[in-house]
Amino acid sequence: MTPDAPIRLLLGPQRPTVNLRSALDESGMPGGRMAVISAGWQEAEGDIDDVREIVGRELNDVGLYARAEALMAAHPKLHAAYRARQDRLVELQRLYRLRLRHLMVAARQTLRADGDPELLAPEQRHAIAQLRALDRHHLHRVHAIHDRFNCEYSRVQFEPLAEQAAEIEASITAADAVLITGGNVVVLLNRILLFGLGRLLRTKHVAAWSAGAMALADRVVLFHDRTPLGRRDPELLGAGLGIVPDSIFLPDAMRRIREKDAIRTSMYSRRFSPHTCIALDSGSLLRFENGALVAAEAARRLTVRGGFAPLRAA
Amino acid sequence: MNPALRKLFRKGAPAPGDIDAFVAEAEFPLVDGSDVTFVYRGAAEAVYLRCWISGLDTAQPFQALSDTDLWAATIELPKGSRIEYKFEVIRNGHRELILDPLNDVRAHDPFGANSVCQGYGYERPSWTLHNPDARPGDIESRQFDSAVLKDTRNIQVYLPARFRRNRRYPLLIVHDGVDYLHFAQLKIVLDNLIFDLEIPPLIVAMIQSPDRLKEYSGDDRHADHLVEELLPFMAEHYPLTDNADERGLMGASFGGVATLHAAWRHPGHFGALLLQSGSYAFSDIGRHNRGPVFDPVVRFMNEFRQTPGCPAGKMYMSCGIYESLIYENRSLLPLLQAQGVDIRFEEARDAHNWENWRDRLRNGLSWLFPGPVWMVYE
Repeated sequence: MTPDAPIRLLLGPQRPTVNLRSALDESGMPGGRMAVISAGWQEAEGDIDDVREIVGRELNDVGLYARAEALMAAHPKLHAAYRARQDRLVELQRLYRLRLRHLMVAARQTLRADGDPELLAPEQRHAIAQLRALDRHHLHRVHAIHDRFNCEYSRVQFEPLAEQAAEIEASITAADAVLITGGNVVVLLNRILLFGLGRLLRTKHVAAWSAGAMALADRVVLFHDRTPLGRRDPELLGAGLGIVPDSIFLPDAMRRIREKDAIRTSMYSRRFSPHTCIALDSGSLLRFENGALVAAEAARRLTVRGGFAPLRAA
Repeated sequence: MNPALRKLFRKGAPAPGDIDAFVAEAEFPLVDGSDVTFVYRGAAEAVYLRCWISGLDTAQPFQALSDTDLWAATIELPKGSRIEYKFEVIRNGHRELILDPLNDVRAHDPFGANSVCQGYGYERPSWTLHNPDARPGDIESRQFDSAVLKDTRNIQVYLPARFRRNRRYPLLIVHDGVDYLHFAQLKIVLDNLIFDLEIPPLIVAMIQSPDRLKEYSGDDRHADHLVEELLPFMAEHYPLTDNADERGLMGASFGGVATLHAAWRHPGHFGALLLQSGSYAFSDIGRHNRGPVFDPVVRFMNEFRQTPGCPAGKMYMSCGIYESLIYENRSLLPLLQAQGVDIRFEEARDAHNWENWRDRLRNGLSWLFPGPVWMVYE
């Protein structure tokens, strides 16, 4: 069941506003069975009774998280290699964060500075350029670590993984559409990549909310200004699946971002350009067809001036 | 005079019935901005407010309110303060320390209970209260023989909700752990912070010494016991990460001394220290004046201040500004920073007590063990 023009339906958190059902009904996606990827819920993966009640369709969770756990348990070498990769990624992220912290401080202070625009503007541009260079560098390093792992343990190289991936693909292929839930975006993306599902997902109708939407983009950016220890600098986690290009999705932005800090919010769009940073709050909806945005509700674009502008379909 | 009392006395001494009604309706102590008025009702020769706030007299006298059996004492308490207190009532020449009969808010510690005054702007953090949505972890008891201490020790081990043997967890060892459970609601706090994704699921070993003033005072045997016996025991029985950054040690008061001492004596074993109101007495010259129980502490701290090394890469320190130990705690900060420790220091308008330590747990734990809230987008 491969549609000619796959639809991508991206939503904000399903609390407090639940718009999944209405979004699906109005999307033009066929109303049959959906394959569910809820790996971002980790141990609670597959606990989809509430979702089933909301969407009123047949759902089949493909169990990425549980399958990966079982594979690791059965294949200690895979487990060790996967752990080693994750340890390297965590360490790399730590080193990136160290450098990012100082560049972010410098960029913020430069952007806040007053003075002769002729003198200041090039410094401000350069401060942002340094951030962009660091992000690019980080992206390459993350990519290299994934590549190294995939050389030995991709589904092509490792038979047990291929068997599981084939089963998952059969479930997804048999479904009319795929539903990707929110949750831990790192876990979600890791599991999708482990089973090499990116290519198949490109051919399917996909509806996703929060972390699911983030994973579909070109880039995944972690952000939260309201952790117990205060704001954290937005971090590039790495590449997403690239199914919805040119965008970076920021779910629950109203709660997670201090929107009144215009310098801080302006840095999202400056730093991650040409990608558009899009706030997906509860009740938000975006629908893409043939790569074009055809419907947008309550989604906002972060502007260079540090504001939020309504996102409109072309 | 407090406005509520002024109103009560506006026509002179109130009748006993009016006082009954006043006592039944008002919330005590009477908080009027930063002025807090404590009220005692009863026959007495004198009444004192006993609270342990460094900088204030230990005993604040009450004044008898004219022609009634009411007594009142007002102190200034800055915004956000929380203090514990008792009343000292002198009757027929006898002194008696009692809880405030008009205030039901109590705090408990190993020595009993105190009344609690929650000053203007103080609010008990919601994450210290039971959350029915938060899946609870389990606590199991373990026992093992210590060759170093020549003793059998009990430990309580907290296992997070959804604990799985095939995962690996950070470890936190808590001095006076049973007291933390009883008096600082440690289990509720852990359940809530893990549920809120503010800390990762972690395993917590709660130890309790039968002789804490000795063992926690900078005793090498205690430090060796932790590193040579307890850590291997925990690694043998529980799935732990093999990374010192995810191995924490924590304690308050003398437990803070034991924490710092063990990490200093065995650098590289603990990457994260949570130190609360540590009893870090030292002497730059001459003798200290804190009593003989502090002798070994001062010996250790003087040595530590000479050769601090880097006990751990990351630390969280907190201290109440109403405790005399605030000076010693503050003085450690630049010393540790100079060693390259990534340290977060927090002062609270509170004193040397368990609820102060409880209220700081969220910041301390989430600093040392940041949770996945950053990565979760529901």
